[in-house]
Amino acid sequence: MLNVLLCGIGGQGTVLAAKLLAQAAQSKGWQVRTAETIGMAQRGGSVVSHVRMGNDVGPDGAPESVESPLLPLGSAALVVAFEPSEAARALPYLAPDGVLVTATTAVQPVTAALSKKPYQAEGVLANLRALLAGSPATLVEVDDAALLSQVGSPKALNVVLLATALSQGHVPLTLDDLRAAVRACVKPAFIDMNLQAINIAAK
Amino acid sequence: MAKQLLMGNAAFAHAALESGVNVVAGYPGTPSSELVETVAALRASGAAEGVYVEWSTNEKAALEMLAGASLCGARTLFTCKQVGLNVASDPLLSLNYVGVKGGTVLFVADDPGPISSQTEQDTRRFASFAKVPVLDPTSPEQGFSMMKLAFELSEAYGTPIIVRPTTRINHASTYFDVQERTVARELPKEGFKKDPKWVIFPKRSFQAHGEINDRLVAMARDFCTEERLLWLNPVTAGGLARYDAPFDEEGGQPAALPEGLTPSMVKPKLGIVAGGVSAAYAREALGLLEQRAAVAGLELPAYRFMQVGTPFPFPQDRAADFAADLSSVLVLEELDHVLEDEMLKLTGTHHLDLEIHGKLDYCARDRGENDVDDIARRIALFFDIYVRGGVAEVPWFGPVEGAPFLSLFDSRQAGVAKLSWEVSFDQRVKDRHRALLVEAGLDPEGPFAGAEYGEGQLSALVADAAPYEYAPAGDQGQGNAPLPVRPPVLCAGCPHRGSFYAVKQALGKREAVYCGDIGCYTLGNAAPLFTTDTCLCMGAGITMAQGFNVVEPHKKQIAFVGDSTFFASGMTGMANAVYNGHDITLCVLDNSTTAMTGSQPHPGTGVTLMGARRRPISIRAVLEAMGVECIVRANPLDVGESVMAASVAIDFKGPSAVLFEEPCIQLKKPSAPARVDPQTCTGCKKCITEIGCPGIGFNAGATGPASGKRGQAFVDRSLCNGCGLCLQVCPFHSLRKEA
Repeated sequence: MLNVLLCGIGGQGTVLAAKLLAQAAQSKGWQVRTAETIGMAQRGGSVVSHVRMGNDVGPDGAPESVESPLLPLGSAALVVAFEPSEAARALPYLAPDGVLVTATTAVQPVTAALSKKPYQAEGVLANLRALLAGSPATLVEVDDAALLSQVGSPKALNVVLLATALSQGHVPLTLDDLRAAVRACVKPAFIDMNLQAINIAAK
Repeated sequence: MAKQLLMGNAAFAHAALESGVNVVAGYPGTPSSELVETVAALRASGAAEGVYVEWSTNEKAALEMLAGASLCGARTLFTCKQVGLNVASDPLLSLNYVGVKGGTVLFVADDPGPISSQTEQDTRRFASFAKVPVLDPTSPEQGFSMMKLAFELSEAYGTPIIVRPTTRINHASTYFDVQERTVARELPKEGFKKDPKWVIFPKRSFQAHGEINDRLVAMARDFCTEERLLWLNPVTAGGLARYDAPFDEEGGQPAALPEGLTPSMVKPKLGIVAGGVSAAYAREALGLLEQRAAVAGLELPAYRFMQVGTPFPFPQDRAADFAADLSSVLVLEELDHVLEDEMLKLTGTHHLDLEIHGKLDYCARDRGENDVDDIARRIALFFDIYVRGGVAEVPWFGPVEGAPFLSLFDSRQAGVAKLSWEVSFDQRVKDRHRALLVEAGLDPEGPFAGAEYGEGQLSALVADAAPYEYAPAGDQGQGNAPLPVRPPVLCAGCPHRGSFYAVKQALGKREAVYCGDIGCYTLGNAAPLFTTDTCLCMGAGITMAQGFNVVEPHKKQIAFVGDSTFFASGMTGMANAVYNGHDITLCVLDNSTTAMTGSQPHPGTGVTLMGARRRPISIRAVLEAMGVECIVRANPLDVGESVMAASVAIDFKGPSAVLFEEPCIQLKKPSAPARVDPQTCTGCKKCITEIGCPGIGFNAGATGPASGKRGQAFVDRSLCNGCGLCLQVCPFHSLRKEA
């Protein structure tokens, strides 16, 4: 079972990212379940997408079946965070030897702007580094602002993060799988931009 | 057939279309909305032929419209969220007495958590109150099959049927094989046939009540005996029971037992009953436990597992077979203790010596969502606490031959049980075990004591689920960077922000009560706007304001309502204000859509789901017709105009209205974002403390000639949509539009 958790803020594009992973898994013949945050929580709040892929073979030789749409704590081979504080929030889902890929640009909520000490990404990132140092888990920090300015569109954040995550080689999905998923799932007008974003992120 | 990744709600739509549904209607509400939207999209693309679909004005309108269609023989599908059924409860309870002709299915989405709702009400409970059968799927796939079956059951038994998924099924996606083209079922030639039974009268009601009772008994029986319905309530066995004869095979010969196992060890004494998505969590938790136990050289005790897919009418005979010879059952479900109640009833009607554990004795979460981790811990503890036989050298869980079954629970003392679950397998449990041994006349130091009775070995396997945790403060030094809370907020550029701000400005220091309502604008409750003092249910803001006005006339009463909510259930309240002369100010936050649930059209937009364009119903005209004498309008993004309009309405004696008109940001293209001029920003934070837009942050480290070291505001260009509200709020004109 390959579990991936995508976390971010409503409107950042986690839902499409989950769809791309599902498409990539489906093309390999795996059973897939995804679960999304939709509704009130969407409005600028923390959101998570759970993606579960049955990439093993069950005892009867049939493809592994996936029961729960939500993944258990400590089971995500890959956590893709669209924002550093959301990465920290999702940490309990990371498997002992999992990979945490996080964007480094902070998105400040109104509550933080109102407080005396507004939230900054650096402190959270430093803590994440310290926390995972010496553990079997891997932390990958993505300079999303720089990559997105190369791509020329802030909309590509999801694909940039996914491409970075897959290029680490820790999960059995490749950049070509992602490219094929983009061609299958993304509106035609945005396919080229997303493919270019994959190339830029994979460099 | 084509494999498609479908969200649960979309899959339910396909299932209904494949069942030939003729008429679909509902009112939007998370987590139910995507079903109707999918039907509309498939119809528009030509894939779904012959189906009629609409967003109705509210749930009551939808169900009544469908009742008419059903009496003509049409297959009908109603959709709403759980609280929507409250609105449709009047027609539902009577419709059950009148009966249906064309299959009538109510798709009602429950929301454990709640994630996007006012209540954690349980539609299974509503079903038994209304005496309407309910199907409760554990997965989108099972829901797909249940939806198809529901139409058949509805016609076979002449009853409406509720299909009740929960959020995690509505919004879970998986791949489905669906038909590429569907055609609505041909309508019966005779159409609507006049018959006195369609008219609800007391005499007819008495007769119909008997028919309802009879069909519920028949359905409960058929769920247990009809081969083609058994999948609704599957029973399996696991753990050491794999060496036992399979369930349902009377007289089947068990396989030869491995050494060390006795026949009584492989006979299940423990049972797990689960419903809805909790059954999926429980299956996964059992798989997880089994795996980890195998690695640790342990076995799970023999157990039976039953998923209840038809909570009402409850399949009592099947549950009785399941419970035969069991000693203790753990019930796992979300929202209410519906299955637990049924199991308790079962022990009474069948005089079973059976303990039932669940929400009532705090052995399961009493509210909110369940999950795999929590359920794994509860099942592990349930197994651990189960008295273990004294075969010390074999680390197997199961009763030794001749040992009495002793439970470490005490249902009569919920407090004790609650503690024991929360603190896991601790001294309290051991003490109770010891006391039970003494009570049973056994030596507390004898072969059934201590280690032989489980030391929480299985619990230990699932104790620490999260290997990493970001501590909010303290020991790991993360206290220097606490995580910001991130509650949902009004979007950057949301016109509601301007409406709230203007009303506050117009009121000045006058005391006021802000009665909010259901929609995005409930988020006006948050800092720094604080313009939602109450929120009860759809349309209630308008009428609650009137109650405040009766009792506290010295204050100003402001009611906020959205355009869709105004049509759904605001109009009667406003008629009441005019009729009874309540001095309130209605603020209609008209953003030309039903925003919170994903931009659905409504009577005020004139757009229908099937593409026809009607003349939009004018809210102003409605209010005028009702006799509201003061009606003003304003663009909420224009602060001056809005404050002026709000002042006029608030100062008016008698019911008044302000129409704040500006489309939702989802409906229009953003304009150039704002930017902060670092030369003139003083760091006063007024742009943040006055309107609280997520597009504006504060950089404490920024310096400038006017701000010194106070820090400066900044605009997040990825969020700002250029609404311009902040430009009007900044006292130093430091916020400007980018060229």
